[in-house]
Amino acid sequence: MAAEPVLVNEQLSGALQQPITALAWSPDGELVAIASGGGELLLLDFRAGCEELLRGDRDQSLDAIGFSSDGQFLMAVGQAGELLLWELGGSGVRPLALEPLALGAGWLDAAAWRPLGLLLAVAAGREVRLWDGASRQWCPQVLDLPGTVQALAWSADGALMAASCNGELALWQPLASPAPPPFRLATASAGLGLAFSPRAGLLAAGQMDRSLLLWPELGQGTPWQFSGFPAKVRLLAWSDQLGSLAPPLAVASGDTVVLWSQHDTGSRGWRPQPLLWHGARVNALAFAPGRPLLATASGDGTVALWDGNGALRQSLEGDGQGFNALAWRPDGQHLLAGGDQGRWWLWPVA
Amino acid sequence: MAFSTAVPAGERLPVTVLTGYLGAGKTTLLNRILTHEHGLKVAVIVNEFGEVGIDNQLVIDADEEIFEMNNGCICCTVRGDLIRIIGNLMKRRDRFDHLVIETTGLADPAPVIQTFFVDDDLRDELRLDAVVTLVDLRHVLQHWQADEVQEQLAFADVLLLNKADLVDEAERAAIEQRVRAINPMARLLTSTNADVPMQQILGVEAFELERALSLDPGFLVDDHDHEHDATVGSLALVEERPMDLDKLGSWLSELVAQRGPDLFRMKGIIQLAGEDCRYVFQSVHMLLDGDFDRPWKPGERRRTEFVIIGRDLDAAGLRAGFAACGA
Repeated sequence: MAAEPVLVNEQLSGALQQPITALAWSPDGELVAIASGGGELLLLDFRAGCEELLRGDRDQSLDAIGFSSDGQFLMAVGQAGELLLWELGGSGVRPLALEPLALGAGWLDAAAWRPLGLLLAVAAGREVRLWDGASRQWCPQVLDLPGTVQALAWSADGALMAASCNGELALWQPLASPAPPPFRLATASAGLGLAFSPRAGLLAAGQMDRSLLLWPELGQGTPWQFSGFPAKVRLLAWSDQLGSLAPPLAVASGDTVVLWSQHDTGSRGWRPQPLLWHGARVNALAFAPGRPLLATASGDGTVALWDGNGALRQSLEGDGQGFNALAWRPDGQHLLAGGDQGRWWLWPVA
Repeated sequence: MAFSTAVPAGERLPVTVLTGYLGAGKTTLLNRILTHEHGLKVAVIVNEFGEVGIDNQLVIDADEEIFEMNNGCICCTVRGDLIRIIGNLMKRRDRFDHLVIETTGLADPAPVIQTFFVDDDLRDELRLDAVVTLVDLRHVLQHWQADEVQEQLAFADVLLLNKADLVDEAERAAIEQRVRAINPMARLLTSTNADVPMQQILGVEAFELERALSLDPGFLVDDHDHEHDATVGSLALVEERPMDLDKLGSWLSELVAQRGPDLFRMKGIIQLAGEDCRYVFQSVHMLLDGDFDRPWKPGERRRTEFVIIGRDLDAAGLRAGFAACGA
């Protein structure tokens, strides 16, 4: 029997002072941002071959970071309750920090750039606010929820924004003219993770009550509900590969990863495949862009690579520290992982 | 519902819950905790931001938010804000070694306590150390009938009778007696300006089963119950005969199923028939936890001691149900 080709055989690594909380690639794959629980923010510039610590350790966490779709801005939010923004001039040009924007809503841990254009959605207490990179101002539209926003997500075309709190999921079209009122769905518990499928118009919500909700038709149809997960469902990732109907969906609950695939459109059309391998909580999961390869990262100190059939292809270790975060480069050929002691690793994946 | 976890207590971060009615001195005590040289790095979650008045990176604001986990049953309510904020904070858990949560003066402590036993992640990563309730000796009788006051007294592991300089000894003693009637289990401290030794407040381990019961010796007198002047009261049950664990378990399960919302806390040391070890037991509303403890010591008085703190307790019915659990 021929040996399976080795996927990973070299790596790049570095360290921050405090546990890594978030990772992000610029859309062109030339820049990477790494944030820590101490509020450090490191920017790596691969084309210029340099790095810059945009912020040092100040003992206040950064929890969500991201590049705008055109790569013009980098944002970060965290414990201090401020939206931090940098304007990027491209590779080799020093980023320009904008004045921090205080939101007065306590710890911020969810924010997401619209997949097209320059709108940034920020979860601030019981509101979702929009910052517009074109005007560099807050938009007048605000989405109100009855509880603290736990998660938010944009649809692939950027037309629809979903936000969840305990007991409710709201679907909002902030750019429609005239804007219809938000469509509100009652849920039995809090949605902790939200993700729209890249195609086929599905919305997945991982719930605190150990269930997964899946809506067809961008939230308008009757949802499938799957319960019986071993712990709350916090992490969701859609593949960009086409399945027989919907693309595959990976879900993490406790130390268990479940790969879901749709076989028919009936009520029993979704089939789960548990991927039981990690020995501690799974803290991140992501499909590689453009290929049927899933990466999962766990507090057990390993990153696992799974193929499209749910077979474990390879496991990666750092230096023993648990993993908190993962991000694939847009080319699908490089995987960045962040550890709970502050070290990060960049692995080329063949 | 059991509230134990497989993760050893020593690996979990201790949490102190600080309660007390408006003006009882919580902020003063928090400032002492944050500035005291006790060698602990303490992170504090506050619900009334700005009052602490200390520029400290580990003082974190949270907006109280109750999540009902199951059909609105009081026993299944948790604090969603704490789940989110502590989840964020625990990514840096090597940066601090104790967590203090200050509740608002009008908060029911039960959802805070239940959060640490019901939530998957928090249960494995933290352990509730104690509920510390401040009592304003000067003003507490004015608010005595408030539900919040009675709940905060009932759930306490440590009762700090504060502002002792503002009352005379007779007033203090009268309040102590009324407080004891509601909660005979808590450690009782008296202070002025919340000035109290930190080791009496932090590291109490009140929810560790082996410390299940430490009663005021004067309280535990047979056939004596303490529910004179309030709907919230306590009942101490003592049984010299050995008990039957199956009978006791059935009785308790039925009791919490029927009266769970009114049963705030129970603690007991049980003498079981045919067992050389003590059986220890505790509950918070409908959450029950019990296990075998150390062997009875030679010369130790082998008997069952059981305390129930709750609202509108039916003393006669509880006594009869308990007595029927004899082996």
